Amino acid sequence: MQTTSPIRKGASGFSLRVAAVWLGLLLIFAWFVSSFDLDFSIVFDKLPNLLGMELSSEGALQGVPLTLLVSVGSMIVAVLLGLLSALGRISSSAIAYGVATFYNSFFRGTPLLVQILFIYLGLPQLGPVPAAIPAGIAALSLCYGAYLSEIFRASIVAVDPGQWEAGEALGMRRRTILARVILPQALRTSIPSVGTMFISMLKDSSLVSVMGLWEIMFLAQSYGRSSYRYVEMLLTAAVIYWILSMVLEVLQARLEMWLRGHA
Amino acid sequence: MKRSVPIVCFGLTLLWSVAASGGETLDRINKQRVLVGAVDPSYPPFSFLNDKNQMDGFDIDIAKAVAARLGVKLRIETPSWEVVTAGHWRGRWDVCICSMTPDKQKAQVLDFVVAYYSSPAVLVTTAQNAALTTAPDISGKRIGVEQGSSYERFLQKDLLIPTPDGKPLTYFFDKVRIAPYGNEDLAFQDLSLGAGKRIDAVLSNYGTAKLRLDKMPGKFKIVGDPLYNEPNWVAVDKGDTEWKVLLGQIIGEFRKDGTLSRLSNKWLGKDITQ
Repeated sequence: MQTTSPIRKGASGFSLRVAAVWLGLLLIFAWFVSSFDLDFSIVFDKLPNLLGMELSSEGALQGVPLTLLVSVGSMIVAVLLGLLSALGRISSSAIAYGVATFYNSFFRGTPLLVQILFIYLGLPQLGPVPAAIPAGIAALSLCYGAYLSEIFRASIVAVDPGQWEAGEALGMRRRTILARVILPQALRTSIPSVGTMFISMLKDSSLVSVMGLWEIMFLAQSYGRSSYRYVEMLLTAAVIYWILSMVLEVLQARLEMWLRGHA
Repeated sequence: MKRSVPIVCFGLTLLWSVAASGGETLDRINKQRVLVGAVDPSYPPFSFLNDKNQMDGFDIDIAKAVAARLGVKLRIETPSWEVVTAGHWRGRWDVCICSMTPDKQKAQVLDFVVAYYSSPAVLVTTAQNAALTTAPDISGKRIGVEQGSSYERFLQKDLLIPTPDGKPLTYFFDKVRIAPYGNEDLAFQDLSLGAGKRIDAVLSNYGTAKLRLDKMPGKFKIVGDPLYNEPNWVAVDKGDTEWKVLLGQIIGEFRKDGTLSRLSNKWLGKDITQ
């Protein structure tokens, strides 16, 4: 940040020129897409359903609200799991460290689709038969919790070790130092990476459609196939995901600014 | 001795699940007043999302008729094909009237009740392609199929299905290069680039191919006669014999009273249930 900001401040009309570059790139993209010989009339018919403005005929959530429910729910649980696991990674307890590293290794190292099917098809063999939404949230949060744990651990380790020593010199307990001194700084530096993970999860949440959930990609593909306008519907889904991601980017920037003000 | 406890537990669970399965499905349906059917989410005209955002099609109409016959409501769910064909439904779904062709692998995890229609396998190529006029012309050509479908198995010369005359299928071609796709739409997308560009033809079933030809006039054509006829069966989870027998009777009634023929004519323009 320190190297780029002086240049930005010095250049007049910087944001205007950035906007011009964006517009140019968007036009090139539009030209590329228009060369596909597509018919977008069907898109407007199906858009209300993709946006989930009504419940499905079975009375279930569908489209954008379902994608958001699954992603936001998973992100909240994933942040908690990630924090717990990161604390396990820096713990001196062999059990905590062992559990955290095993969890991390397994859920980062196996495909998300396999994890979803593991939970959805595997758990019923033991007894409980999870519904699709809880199974999806469980799988996504377990997987992303493992990624987040690495991010949190790196941010915690990156805080100057002198701060630990300063806390100890003041007679604070390790737990207090962690909660009051280290974590607030670590979490702030981790925000950009966590935001990236959230955007990635938004799109990975389409994998829950294997359990019959009618999220954005499921509807786009189903409509595309029944109307023989597959590419058109996929492009529509892509634009919806992109807009959702941009909203998340803005929220992330706001959160960063807010935290900087409260540091 | 301690070690054997989990094994005993496992054995008991197994015993219990076998003992509890007689008529269990029908009990559940009557208790909840709902028949839960699993279908393929996009297999027009057999099952697809219609303009009103509801599942519709030949398979759906038959499921509706079964629910009406049982005096309960129908709920349709759309788990992916892999999930349905993994078996072990554990009461999630009661029946799959979903254009499923039995083979040895599927019969190990699912029970097949009765055949309800037979679909001709046809070869589709571009309307302009003159190099393909009869089915044996596919030798040496590149043919698109849906990954894991019976059409892929057929081209691999490894399709074991019951045939009307009881004879095994004849494989009249040689050195076909198989191009498996995640779904048929991608195969047709590639075919529409021109025959021979990426693939020369797509092997599919008459029902879905006919609808595509009607919806996209002038682009594709069906080559020659059907290659073989493929039986499509009603599938249920393993274990509940009473439910299987009852479903078999209901479909049998539908065949006799003309329900199957009527629905076939409605969705396919001809009767493929005889």
